Amino acid sequence: MPTLEISCKDLSRLLGRTVTVEELDDLILYAKGEIDGVEGDTVKVDQKDTNRPDLWSTEGIARQLRGILSLETGLPDITIEESDVEIFVDPALADVRPYCVNAVVKGLDIDEAFLSQIIQLQEKVALTYGRKRREVAVGIIDYDRIVPPIYYRATGPEENAFVPLSFSEALTPSEILSLHPKGQEYRHLVEGHDVYPLLVDSEGTVLTMPPIINSEHTGKVTTETKNVFVDVTGYDIETLKTALNVIVSAFAERGATIYSVTVHYPGRKERVPDLTPRTFSVSKAYVQKTLGMALDDRDLVALLAKMRYDAFVDGDDIVVSYAPYRDDIMHENDVLEDLAIAYGYNSMVPDVPDLSTTGRLLPLTSRLLIARELMVGLGYQEIVTFTLSSSEMLFERMGVARPDDVVEIENPVSASWSVLRPALLPSLMAFLSKNTHNDYPQTVFEVSEAARIDESQETGVESAYRLAFAACSATATFTEARQALDAFMANCGIAFEVRGIEHPSFLEGRVGAIVVDGIERGIIGEIHPRVLEAWGLEHPVAAVELALERLLE
Amino acid sequence: MNALTNEEKKVLLLLLSSETGAASPEALASGDMVAVAIHRASLGLASRGFITIEESVKTTLRITNEGEELRSVIPERAVAEAIRATGGTSAYLDELAIDKRLSGIALGWLKKRQWAEMEKEGGRMRVTLTEPAIEALGRPSPLQDALERIATEVVMLEEVDASIVSDLKSRKAIEMRTERTRTLVLTDAARAVDPASIIIREEVTQLTPDLVRNGRWKDVQFKRFDVSVPVKPLYPGKKQPYLAFLDSLKAQFVALGFQEMRGPLIETEFWNFDALFQPQNHPARDWTDTYRLISPKQGRLPDDGTVEAVKRSHESSWKYVWDPEKARNLMPRAHGTCLSARQLHAGVSLPGKYFSIARCFRPDVLDRTHLIEFNQIEGIICDESLTFRNLLGVLKQFAEEIAGARQVRFYPDYYPFTEPSVQMSAKHPDLGWVEFGGAGIFRSELTRPLGVEEPVIAWGLGVDRLAMFKLGIDDIRYLFSDDITWLRREVMM
Repeated sequence: MPTLEISCKDLSRLLGRTVTVEELDDLILYAKGEIDGVEGDTVKVDQKDTNRPDLWSTEGIARQLRGILSLETGLPDITIEESDVEIFVDPALADVRPYCVNAVVKGLDIDEAFLSQIIQLQEKVALTYGRKRREVAVGIIDYDRIVPPIYYRATGPEENAFVPLSFSEALTPSEILSLHPKGQEYRHLVEGHDVYPLLVDSEGTVLTMPPIINSEHTGKVTTETKNVFVDVTGYDIETLKTALNVIVSAFAERGATIYSVTVHYPGRKERVPDLTPRTFSVSKAYVQKTLGMALDDRDLVALLAKMRYDAFVDGDDIVVSYAPYRDDIMHENDVLEDLAIAYGYNSMVPDVPDLSTTGRLLPLTSRLLIARELMVGLGYQEIVTFTLSSSEMLFERMGVARPDDVVEIENPVSASWSVLRPALLPSLMAFLSKNTHNDYPQTVFEVSEAARIDESQETGVESAYRLAFAACSATATFTEARQALDAFMANCGIAFEVRGIEHPSFLEGRVGAIVVDGIERGIIGEIHPRVLEAWGLEHPVAAVELALERLLE
Repeated sequence: MNALTNEEKKVLLLLLSSETGAASPEALASGDMVAVAIHRASLGLASRGFITIEESVKTTLRITNEGEELRSVIPERAVAEAIRATGGTSAYLDELAIDKRLSGIALGWLKKRQWAEMEKEGGRMRVTLTEPAIEALGRPSPLQDALERIATEVVMLEEVDASIVSDLKSRKAIEMRTERTRTLVLTDAARAVDPASIIIREEVTQLTPDLVRNGRWKDVQFKRFDVSVPVKPLYPGKKQPYLAFLDSLKAQFVALGFQEMRGPLIETEFWNFDALFQPQNHPARDWTDTYRLISPKQGRLPDDGTVEAVKRSHESSWKYVWDPEKARNLMPRAHGTCLSARQLHAGVSLPGKYFSIARCFRPDVLDRTHLIEFNQIEGIICDESLTFRNLLGVLKQFAEEIAGARQVRFYPDYYPFTEPSVQMSAKHPDLGWVEFGGAGIFRSELTRPLGVEEPVIAWGLGVDRLAMFKLGIDDIRYLFSDDITWLRREVMM
């Protein structure tokens, strides 16, 4: 989800109508945005739709809002002049970064607000739409400093040294990858190839080294720049064309003139950009049925026009035309949503469906509820803790070796939350350790899910509900825990026996396995003083842990 | 009269039998009634107007070890007497037969009391007595007189001249001891009581089965309790407040005709992303940060043709090569929507309503407003007749019935798995506008590969903020509170 900074004044100028921050708060929703912060005239906008890069600039937002405000509706009028500029693509780049598409834009009048939008749009398109420049990298070059034709060619790592942006000395491509900050950040996109992509003009002047860095000499746009050359490179030519259309359409919003160019690919050539509208057909009946509203043809066409479509009714269908800076229209619902937005979600009458169904909890949920009520009846306070924990809490403090079947997070926010707990008792110990200054006795329980690796499961992990309870007081004993266990099991109707075992978390001779139908389903015992010490507890703890879900099945 | 405890009655009788009708508790104490019992009884009698308790404070003087020394020898007096013994009124200090330590102390007091003048003469100290000193020597020492009395009898502070007390105190010769004494005095009303009317019966604290069984309860007197006295707190077993709230939500969903769904905590990317039409290696998959696992790494995909259908859906819509290996990667589920995907795949009734309250995981730092794990209410309704207005209606119903909201507002939103998408804010009577959750109509590119042709409306509601309000807390960490005192105090109604 890209976050943009736009100027309210700049937006007002583009709209030709003053818009206040307060108005924008509501209006921006129609452009799939949400205001995230305001600082003076600068508004931070979260753009939610990751498929609408055309809305990621003040220009794009203005285009959309002009429709909503009925200042200008229907397809935007973006004319493209033809130029004789040619670009030649080197077949040697086929495996490296095979495609580029380009355009020339003339007659720019760049102020600070415009400049910041150019930089921001280029960055957001490459970062989000272009997957951190892998799929799409964008270069904007000062057209007055280059001489066409332009060559998108392969360069050896040690040839064609040039001065990269914000440097003062010429570096070879391989030096750029190791020395320039952008080289270090994006080197993985070209490394491993014998050659790297480079854009040079007819006189051998370097424009840019996609997808890494522009040249300081030609690739620096300022408020003095009048004409630019747009360069978009990547792997999938359709994606590149959409990105190019997004960028030139934004320039067009500022009154610049767009010129198409001819790109010669190995064996064919294409004229780009091409803003010929695309069409999509939507069934009227489907729209009526899905929205649950009887809109007439005129309404449908007018609403679509507000969302910058041209639309006409063709028998049972509505045919819409849309500008090809959009590539998100895959299904009738994509058009339908725009229609609903134009109508206004809050103008629709909510309608609770009249469907008769029978509600029910999962049998397990009902049983867990009873189990929890039994523990409450036994005087235990219910607690809820996090599933995520740490090896230190789960194993080290409990005095046990870390087992092999632990589910572990690769990218934890902190080591404290880096593994999924296989048992609940350590969470209860952690809870008791936080309450040493509070009234005793403390008796607590938790019924929650725990997880461990189990290859036989579909997701390689068994996550199941367990019960743990603990009594902590000056007089807590095995007997106290055993009484509670007996009462709990009897009321669940589960016959069991306790079989003496050895376990490092518990006192020798005061720990047993809880065995049901010959299978160990839990443990009961008095916590070992060594473990109490590790948790900073001075009161004895008698505890039980049960694989409850297995027992209730 | 018979409202009195036996102890009270006994004390009353003792006072009535005394000549003055007044006595100190100590004087009344005996083997039968210890001082504490008398004290307790006297408070009871006083509160019922039988006696008044008069308190007096007296300070007595006690001689110290230093005082005992002073009682035999007053240093400055010893030096003065030694000078007089030489026959004159002046002498060199070193020619007197006086202990050096004593003469050292004496010099200070001689000067202070203006009993002598001191001057150095050729390295020797000459001491010349003054007139008052000579006179004083003719009388017995008032200090010693006082000490004599303090050492041999009980002397009250006020019986000794204040300047002498001050002098003795500064010489650390005496200590003061303050004693509080109480006298129990019968009131006029109590004096009129006929001692014969006071009957002492056996008094019982605990009613026992024996007393009931053998009828002896009729003969005994039950000790009266002060029922207004606070007692030690008792903490009942209780449900955790947040879970109790979630339980009530589940009941509400069941009442609205929803069936509960369940799914695993650890999911394959297939169910968390792919089955929900979120393309691999596309920004649509980055709408939220997610955890990855070190172990285990991969799970299994369904083998009933669903994978192929999902693959076709992705590849025809998103134009890329779908990789089943990536779909097998495991992750803690990042949202509850994977449960809805599983339910669609497992089969749904028509009409069908399903819900789940699912624990979800996203990388966040734990603070006042963020949890490392959170709960989401996830739900779907499937039926051929469903419309977008139905979705708005359902959302509004939830906001009204669950959150008690009076007003709702809908906003356009984006989720890769719904179109149209909507976000709802509800106006809570106290909280103001609260973001309530996201919803939409599942894309058919999602539902068809899972075997459902009919429209499915879906939502995920953030339940934590709602719970915060219900529980009256402003720190989200309390939902998972590790403070037993807070849990014990939290009101359950």
